[in-house]
Amino acid sequence: MSESFLSIRSVRKSFGATTVVQDFNLDVAPGEFVSFLGPSGCGKTTVLRMVAGFETPTSGAIVVAGKDVTRLRPNQRNIGMVFQSYALFPNLTVAQNVGFGLKVAGMGKADIDARVKEMLALIKLPEFGDRYPYQLSGGQQQRVALARALAPKPKLLLLDEPLSALDAKVRVSLRDEIRLIQKNLGITTIFVTHDQEEALSISDRIVVMYGGKAEQVGAPFEIYNRPQTRFVANFVGTLNVLEGTVSDAAAGKVALAAGEITLPGRLDGARNGEAVSLALRPEAISLGEKAGADTRLAGQIADVHFLGSVIRVKVAVGDNVVSLDTFNSPSAPPPEIGQPTGISFAASDLLLLR
Amino acid sequence: MRRLWAWGAFLLGLLYFVLPLVGMTEFSLKMRRGEYSFDAYAKVLGDPRFQETFSYSVVMALFTIAFGVLLVVPTAYWVRLKVPRARPWIEFVTLLPLVIPAIVIVFGYIRLYNTSSWLPLTGSATGTNVLLMFGYATLALPYMYRAVDTGLRTIDVATLTEAAQSLGAGWGTILARVILPNVLVAVLSGAFLTFAIVIGEFTMAALLNRPAFGPYMQLLGANRAYEPAALAVISFSITWLCMGLIQIVSRLAPKPPSQPN
Repeated sequence: MSESFLSIRSVRKSFGATTVVQDFNLDVAPGEFVSFLGPSGCGKTTVLRMVAGFETPTSGAIVVAGKDVTRLRPNQRNIGMVFQSYALFPNLTVAQNVGFGLKVAGMGKADIDARVKEMLALIKLPEFGDRYPYQLSGGQQQRVALARALAPKPKLLLLDEPLSALDAKVRVSLRDEIRLIQKNLGITTIFVTHDQEEALSISDRIVVMYGGKAEQVGAPFEIYNRPQTRFVANFVGTLNVLEGTVSDAAAGKVALAAGEITLPGRLDGARNGEAVSLALRPEAISLGEKAGADTRLAGQIADVHFLGSVIRVKVAVGDNVVSLDTFNSPSAPPPEIGQPTGISFAASDLLLLR
Repeated sequence: MRRLWAWGAFLLGLLYFVLPLVGMTEFSLKMRRGEYSFDAYAKVLGDPRFQETFSYSVVMALFTIAFGVLLVVPTAYWVRLKVPRARPWIEFVTLLPLVIPAIVIVFGYIRLYNTSSWLPLTGSATGTNVLLMFGYATLALPYMYRAVDTGLRTIDVATLTEAAQSLGAGWGTILARVILPNVLVAVLSGAFLTFAIVIGEFTMAALLNRPAFGPYMQLLGANRAYEPAALAVISFSITWLCMGLIQIVSRLAPKPPSQPN
């Protein structure tokens, strides 16, 4: 990674006896888009608020562009922030909202007007300057909030679940718009979300958080395909878990109720008889025979969900039920519940959770 | 049937409140024997003491409002933002003027700030005026605090503050440009209530011996027949005007934007 622009060093945050963030470390490169992903209460918003200056770390340091900002007040940090609830000032027009930070900075009226115009064009609302926040939809308000945060040219942009309050369609379009603007401006951005699809689709890197700790930091592809902990594997994406027992550790064999699976060289350090969980993404499994698959298990169709372009099929395999997706084909009807079938997959796609 | 009872109760209430006012207004118009006239009003309005005391009370009301706004807005804002757990205590304190009679407060003032005390405010007219203004602010505190607190409840104080801070604003800017404009209607409601209280207040002004409108009304009532009724009507009109202004400014409030669910 190139030299870090934002550096969060051994940060811990406690509220009374409760520690909500523990030993959190992260380096963010200039222009990088990093998402904090995790369930409610995992500490992701607290870390963001510490970067913004709204919370003070109990210990550790936060460095932005080489300057330690840990003890600086929020209004001294030049960090832009977009909130889940938009937080537009109701008494000001859109243009006044966007120009608020510039006015506070003491910029002249002509310069403010020019910058506001530029920002409104950036968010594709050039005609909305005279409107008040109550005259805008949720998506428009959030775009104005984004323009307002970007107007003073902050060093860092923080987005605190900015899409959570919007409906699905607006969420997707605004998500792409945010990413496009971020790329064009090259601004280093931290994005907090509990929505894995959001995080996977727009991030350069994702920090998966749980219990106040960073469970895994990596590119979306890495997080999704090579989760390092059971939590990350379960939290990111849909996962089928096959419970089994190590039958021959040296040969890499795991016994399942529905058969035996061989994982060459993957059971180093395991003991025979040890319980293990094998995880598999739905898209790695095929109904019936699949070219290149080296593992086959017999089962029975347990449930079928027609989702339009995709059909999600649940197959009972021994004691386990696995989900897999097949594409809809108008010429082939979905399988019947109770119908005997088989599933196949490549053993190398299995994730070993211990 | 239920509607009939409701109308009956409404009419009874209306008669209870309105009849004395009608009677008083009618009496105030009877100064000229055998016909209705505004003689009592003309006499009152032409009285130099009326003009002096009324002007004094208006000026005092304006100072009280300014002091009340400067005291209550930052306090209510800070309590909501930083110490929400202290809200019940602050509310309790602001309610005290409703249960402690004004005469007790003013005797406390006189005892604390008399000419032989460490802060002899009653030793000069200006000092006594300042003391009286503090007294008025105390009496108006329950109304002013509640009005402002209700206004603050309608906005997301914490997030708006953080948004302003992230844009570089300090506390002064946040209060002046973000919080105050958004609770202005509530502040004005509190201001009009304060105005109405100050204009009619008697106890404090009389015991501090200041030339206010309340003592003037009492003085006139003790010595004249028709003028006190005219004065009472004028005083009621001022109060109602204040109430009407509260209603008008309420409609001018900035509308809150649609909030996410």
